[in-house]
Amino acid sequence: MTRLAPDRWAAIVLFVAAAATPLVVHDTFILDSVILILLWGSLSAAWNVAGGYAGQVSLGHAAFFGIGAYAAALMSARYAQSPWVGLGAGVVLSIGAGGMIGYLSNRLRGPYFALSTIAFAEVLKIVASRWRGFTAGSEGVPVPFRPGFWTLGLGHVAWLYLVLGLALVCYGLQVYLERSRVGYQLAGVREDEDAAEALGIATRRRKVQAVVVSAALTSMGGSLWAQYVGFVDPSHVFSIDLSVRFALNSIIGGMGTALGPFLGSLLITSLETYLRATFSGIQAGFTGIYLIIYGVVLILIVRFAPEGVTGIAARWRTRRDRAHA
Amino acid sequence: MLTLESVTKRFGGLTAVRAVSLEVRRGDLLGIIGPNGAGKTTLFNVIAGYYRPEEGRIVFEGREVTGLPAHAISRLGLTRTFQIVKPFGNLSVADNVMIGALTRLPRVRDARVEAERVIALCGLGPHAAARARALPIGLRKRLEVARALATRPRLLLLDEVMAGLNPSELTGIIDLVRRVHAEGVTLIVIEHVMAAMMRLAQRIVMLHHGEKIAEGTPAEIAHDRRVIDAYLGDEFNLAEA
Repeated sequence: MTRLAPDRWAAIVLFVAAAATPLVVHDTFILDSVILILLWGSLSAAWNVAGGYAGQVSLGHAAFFGIGAYAAALMSARYAQSPWVGLGAGVVLSIGAGGMIGYLSNRLRGPYFALSTIAFAEVLKIVASRWRGFTAGSEGVPVPFRPGFWTLGLGHVAWLYLVLGLALVCYGLQVYLERSRVGYQLAGVREDEDAAEALGIATRRRKVQAVVVSAALTSMGGSLWAQYVGFVDPSHVFSIDLSVRFALNSIIGGMGTALGPFLGSLLITSLETYLRATFSGIQAGFTGIYLIIYGVVLILIVRFAPEGVTGIAARWRTRRDRAHA
Repeated sequence: MLTLESVTKRFGGLTAVRAVSLEVRRGDLLGIIGPNGAGKTTLFNVIAGYYRPEEGRIVFEGREVTGLPAHAISRLGLTRTFQIVKPFGNLSVADNVMIGALTRLPRVRDARVEAERVIALCGLGPHAAARARALPIGLRKRLEVARALATRPRLLLLDEVMAGLNPSELTGIIDLVRRVHAEGVTLIVIEHVMAAMMRLAQRIVMLHHGEKIAEGTPAEIAHDRRVIDAYLGDEFNLAEA
């Protein structure tokens, strides 16, 4: 058997710890935190498939998240159908939208691509805010709670394992991209498209495939989030804040690595939760202070560790190996 | 093997390649020379599918490839290297070459073995684990050749693989080009290093302002009046080369 790399071990520890949490802790605050860490981690991993592995950095992935969230919420609130059906519908729609974004990536590169993805999410936000008859506009859609798996009315423990399942799928997909033909070819596309073409790689098709898969997974995450939180409104689910969060988790954890998005999510989500809990009790004038601290920490990370946490870890390892040699 | 019939490529009002016809036979080692801006690299871009020509036809092994995308042409067995090298900078040398090999060998394990063979052939063995971006230019030029070779081309276009190399690197890469040719790969080579070109090429084509103005053996080219006026500046002394 080949030896597992340290980051694979770290991932195993992370997922086993998440799976073990409900056996040890019954505090819903903790369980909620773990669920969110896994969910945001999965969504960042989905982003990473396009942004990290294929090099198509999108700042509009909230578009797919919102499509998934609305599909599930409307399906259960408006049509009294299972949110799973909505999840499926969201995936289908996101595949279409992802195809469009993927096509854009063949026309526009780098910052121009990123800007056009932001515009795409903004357009969907406006549609969802104005199309009152269908989406209830900016008031948002409350999702009815009907207990059961088929209706996704679940307790915290069930949610945790469900989201853990999504996390494992996303992690597994990334590991696949690090070892498979498709993954290597995507790396070629990311590094240099002209050179990849010369090697017989259909760069355009590969990019569209990566964006479509990324969009479909993001949509699933959006659907689950809508059911978990129980409320969907356009200014949040289509917001640039969300798009940035997906990208930021990956960047902070380590872009183009399987563990990175989950590590980033662990750091950012815990920091955010901790700061919000700690500083929310302070007098009215300071309610927003956690955002300031959060922002400063982000700036420090991006300034001093632009290659992300997994990058720093790798650097330390090489330094240690050199010292031993 | 490769036939160009009156191929023309324009950029707006500028005609970069004008009505160039060319015949390359299997086993050829054809050189293309010409001053900067003569249209040499543009011609490569047209042949390899990066630009679509406005006029003319390109036939590779009996099949018209005019207007096919670059990756499709590469899969047919015609690929190229880049004058300004384009390594996959963040990947290892081994991975760079393996991505080339994956085109013919869908299984990663097989491609890895093939990559090792090509890396050894190109003398990159000691650097297999190095990051491509960390290599000095001489080795990056070799990597460019190795990666293209891994796709098992039958016709390979080499765009100035000797430019900017020191004399010892130059000798090494000339050997490599010879070895590749000996393996049965037909080559078209763009080069400014005339000494090397005279020794390597069986035939030389001279481009000037996008037009083919001369074609012949190295000896014929070296004494061609038009080539001397437009490019060499002086009669090229084959004995010294």
